[in-house]
Amino acid sequence: MDAPVRVLVADDEEDIRLLVCVAVRKAGGTVVAAVADGAQALAAARTERPDLLVLDVSMPEVSGLEVCEQLRADPATAGARVLLLSAGASPDDIARGLAAGADAYLAKPFPVAGLVDQVRRLTARTPA
Amino acid sequence: MTALTDRDTTAPAPLAPAPAAPAGRRRRTAHAVPAAVAAAGLVVLVVSPGTPAVLLAVVAVAASIAELTRRLRVQSSAAADLEAQRLDLLTLGQSTASELEVATRMMRARAQTMTSVIDAVTEQSIIGTDRDGLIRVWNPGAERMLGLPRAEVVRLRSITDFHAPEELDPEDGSPAGPADRFAALVRGAQEHGSDVRDWTYLTADGRRLTVSVAITPRTDDDGEQAGWNFVGTDMTEARATERLKDQFVSLISHELRTPLSSILGYLELVLDDEEQPLTDEQRQYLNTVERNAQRLLRLVGDLLFTAQVDAGKLTLQPEDVDLAGIVRAAEETARVTAAARGVAVVLDVPAEGLVVRGDALRLGQACDNLVSNAVKFTPSGGQVTLQLGTGWRDADGGVTDGASPGATPVAVLSVRDTGMGIPTGEQGRLFTSFFRASTARRNAVPGVGLGLTITKAITTAHGGTLGVTSAEGRGTTFTLALPLG
Repeated sequence: MDAPVRVLVADDEEDIRLLVCVAVRKAGGTVVAAVADGAQALAAARTERPDLLVLDVSMPEVSGLEVCEQLRADPATAGARVLLLSAGASPDDIARGLAAGADAYLAKPFPVAGLVDQVRRLTARTPA
Repeated sequence: MTALTDRDTTAPAPLAPAPAAPAGRRRRTAHAVPAAVAAAGLVVLVVSPGTPAVLLAVVAVAASIAELTRRLRVQSSAAADLEAQRLDLLTLGQSTASELEVATRMMRARAQTMTSVIDAVTEQSIIGTDRDGLIRVWNPGAERMLGLPRAEVVRLRSITDFHAPEELDPEDGSPAGPADRFAALVRGAQEHGSDVRDWTYLTADGRRLTVSVAITPRTDDDGEQAGWNFVGTDMTEARATERLKDQFVSLISHELRTPLSSILGYLELVLDDEEQPLTDEQRQYLNTVERNAQRLLRLVGDLLFTAQVDAGKLTLQPEDVDLAGIVRAAEETARVTAAARGVAVVLDVPAEGLVVRGDALRLGQACDNLVSNAVKFTPSGGQVTLQLGTGWRDADGGVTDGASPGATPVAVLSVRDTGMGIPTGEQGRLFTSFFRASTARRNAVPGVGLGLTITKAITTAHGGTLGVTSAEGRGTTFTLALPLG
């Protein structure tokens, strides 16, 4: 049996962070770290080596976009999947997210069922 | 040949045939006549060796006098011609001088007008330079904006002295001289004929102003470029306000949408929890919470959308869109609310569909707004009719069934209700943000007055038109026309 996919969640809003964790578990994943800012997300990504990172774009100090770019620049983390969550939903916002290296982008507020689907879709592409 | 020949009847009296010679002494002779005398056309006396010396002298004198007289006459004639020419030239000169004076007066008046106009401009800076950037014109608006009087600037300072150097220096950080900076300043205008953009002006007291500057070339009377004009409007406060508005929009986007994400997300978890099903009553309460959260979310979305439109940031993702499908979806969305209110919704759309080029999401939003508005403003027992077809839009924007010269084909959606209507005097303001018709306020119809503003903006962005006809107490028809093909 495949090991559950390892997911890192980063959002400065605790309520949203918990909600995302619920969605990850509903998708069959394991939350390896749930952090409140970009710097912690980068540090946890290097130690935990998650299969997927669910990142809020607007986080203090280091934004989700910057985390994404730094992950891609580091060979140790470049292969991880990234799902960005953001209150910005304009085509420009989405384009910026994808340009930073994200695999998918979900605008807030998002249906939990939609997030579950995205987590399943992104982790299904991860080799077992 | 006769002795006497008169070739010139105008000859002066002293030169008339000399009566001194007696008839008996006249004789025919073959002697030559002096050429000068003959050429003078004078009375010619034929002489012979016997002609007295006195007579010959008289003849010679007479010939000389005749020659002199002739020359005098020629000179007199030339002098008369010259006098006439002098008079002509004098007249011409006077006329030219007069015209020149008029032209000079006109030029002075024009220059005076220009100066007074430029001097009357106190809210915009008007700065004229020569081709190298040396300032030649500095109006009161420039004095006020930049804090220096004309006397301290004209012919003394370069326009680049008043620009933030970092905006004119090369991006690679290489050193730039005054000529390089001026070239950078006018490059856009040089390439495109004119240039309007924001620049940072430096004032005499060290302030930095954001100024929208229109740069155009200035030509002299011969059409040669004499320099450049810089007309500036201080946008410092306006740009700061725009930044504040952007920050506000960003704040709304994040601070309102984030808690709504939590509310709606956790509601979904509770409502969809199959392991712990809710009672009907609990579900009803939570559905009410969800409905209101969705309403709040729509309001936030509408505010953001309006801000985007105001900022000119509305972008469309065009594709082929079946407008019939969109109208059907709008009817479906409004169906439950309409039924609850006792309003019948009649749908009349072509079964084969009607494809337009547009942004499906935005067109759906526009249709939803029109349909939900119609339902909202129609009392119980009333009817809302959604009719989709084709028509023609003439040059004035009017939409008709038949083609006319210059008209273009359009898809026409009319949303007709039998509601409370809109007073005639208020119809012109219907598409203004936050405007609410008095009938809506009197009847406590919920809303904030953004739906029609948004619908109009979406329609306009698609190259379409949105019109309204209404009669208070009888109903309203909105007509949305979108270009076909």
